[in-house]
Amino acid sequence: MSISRSQNTNRGAGTSLPGTRTLDVEVAEDRHAESMMINMGPQHPSTHGVLRLILELDGEEIKRCEPVIGYLHRGKEKVGETFSLHKFIPYTDRLDYLAPLSNNVAFALACEKLLGIECAPRAQSIRVICHELSRISAHLLGLGAYAMDLGAMTIFLWTFRERETIYSLIERICGARFTTSYTRVGGVERDLPDDFLGKLEAFVKEMPGRVDEYEAMLSRNKIWVKRTQGVGIITKEQALQFGLTGPNLRGSGIDYDVRKAHPYLGYEHYEFEVPIGTEGDCYDRYLCRVMEMRQSVRILEQVLQTIPAGPVLNRDGDGVLKSVLPEKTKVLTNMEALIHQFMVGTTDVHMPVGEVYFSAENPKGELGFYLRGDGQLTPARLRIRGPSFANLQILTELLPGHMIADVMAVLGSIDFVMGECDR
Amino acid sequence: MSKSASGKGSSGAPTGAGTGAAGGKDAGGRGSKVGTLATLTNHGDPAAAAALVALFPAASRVESYQGDVRVHVAPAQEVELIRRARDQFGYDHFIDRLGADRGPEADPRFDVITLLGNLRTGKRLIVVTTLPEDEPETPTLCAVFRGADWFEREIYDMYGVRFSGHRDCKRILMPDHFPDFPLRKEYPMEGRGEFAAPRRALGGNVDGKDGTVAIPSQPGRPGPPTRDPLDRTGAPRP
Repeated sequence: MSISRSQNTNRGAGTSLPGTRTLDVEVAEDRHAESMMINMGPQHPSTHGVLRLILELDGEEIKRCEPVIGYLHRGKEKVGETFSLHKFIPYTDRLDYLAPLSNNVAFALACEKLLGIECAPRAQSIRVICHELSRISAHLLGLGAYAMDLGAMTIFLWTFRERETIYSLIERICGARFTTSYTRVGGVERDLPDDFLGKLEAFVKEMPGRVDEYEAMLSRNKIWVKRTQGVGIITKEQALQFGLTGPNLRGSGIDYDVRKAHPYLGYEHYEFEVPIGTEGDCYDRYLCRVMEMRQSVRILEQVLQTIPAGPVLNRDGDGVLKSVLPEKTKVLTNMEALIHQFMVGTTDVHMPVGEVYFSAENPKGELGFYLRGDGQLTPARLRIRGPSFANLQILTELLPGHMIADVMAVLGSIDFVMGECDR
Repeated sequence: MSKSASGKGSSGAPTGAGTGAAGGKDAGGRGSKVGTLATLTNHGDPAAAAALVALFPAASRVESYQGDVRVHVAPAQEVELIRRARDQFGYDHFIDRLGADRGPEADPRFDVITLLGNLRTGKRLIVVTTLPEDEPETPTLCAVFRGADWFEREIYDMYGVRFSGHRDCKRILMPDHFPDFPLRKEYPMEGRGEFAAPRRALGGNVDGKDGTVAIPSQPGRPGPPTRDPLDRTGAPRP
């Protein structure tokens, strides 16, 4: 699916490359001229967290860029080696903290792949709801903050209006707005409340109109178009070399979405399209995200039609009793379930001997978990492949040649989150 | 429901621990009904991996678990194998490069694992190379995938594995003056107490080993001015 770009610009698509951009005024060679070092962050508003950029400037033009990361490093991979898989679920909330439900889903699937456990069918549909709701929510925040960085305050407030609706829905799902810890190996922690699907339906009906509103404010806005078109162009070759994933990869015209390439959770049964950019500039990445929101709404519509009834935790199958927790409501009322919970919680799951890599299409890109089991109670290695880590690295190659004012435009379009970058 | 669950628990418990240890082949048949597990375990391409390994017969072998195909290769041939995988087998999407530690008793001790993706077929390839405990070093992958830069810095940061030919293999997540390699197995979870940061490390743009930032100055141009940020004496900057 190709996206249609607004051509309301005097710059013309594809005529201006960042590498060829020069200052308008020819500057005489000055042998005494010093380049200026500018420190952006870690507390700069446009770095959305604790990213620090060291920029070397010649006038206003960036000569070199050195991102400094690690300010939010919490040693999650080390923690993962000391905990059983169940106990690590809350830690995944804090990876991409703008889409905690997505992280929960990705981690649960990685565990199920390692342990060879099926997910209950109803829980699969619930996980798709979680995945797509958090995608919309994360893209809304990315879009709102991006627009605010470039001076459009209204969008930020509007997107937070819809995010509030989504957070209310998430609160209905799992009782928490932010630190969800909702998935379990073999399913999800609890079933949806009775009134949830009706509320989700109302949201799904409302959301396309809201996306129209954002697009009306931005897609043909002259300032927006001039700030983003032709800026921060990532070529296909660069995108592959640096391991970009998610909208940043697709903005460069590469048709790769984990949901299509390796369908999980039954994504092969849902009809949706993957928006692909043409130029690879900031505007394309913006458009990809906006159109992904529409596709997510489309997926949610189909889930509403097809969600099956049944238990939300896998109860039959090999190895299930050793690894799958009982439903929490039963634990509180039933002695056998309490014992079962106690046994799984204390004796834990013995890891199989083997290594798996599983990745899911998260809002920021491909969130992967590399799990190595060696027969012990805890994984021997729990690697988190945060998409933002790879996505940020390209700044070293992307920013030189741009003006310093373009840094905000590029950073916002990369849409990173430091929680999963620093881990 | 729970009653039957606990009943099955007593009978299923002795075999439960070993169920996952079987190879990847039986993964599709596990579980009572066909679900998403089959879609989680089809990521590898054994035929391509076998063809790739046939090019490096002396030092390579293939393993598989849950559909993930891992190619083991000697450190000296790793870069060449990945280059071949990229150019001849279409694995042109760099996904991840990570380290792993098998513990102080194991020899070889460290793994460097590279994940590649094939955009045309959607398949994935895992390349593993193992390194000894003493002076672990392997050639850098930056010539094949420029994006390996940060990933290798992270492996160095966490495990102390060095990458020969790397542009600037310094720490990335931990502070520059951190004394340990925290993901090594012998490093305790609770850490080894506080460590003293050099005073100059608190400032930016400090050249030298103890600074948090060391952007080399360009030839022909004076480097950035250095200054101790905690210096309250008001002495003029050099």
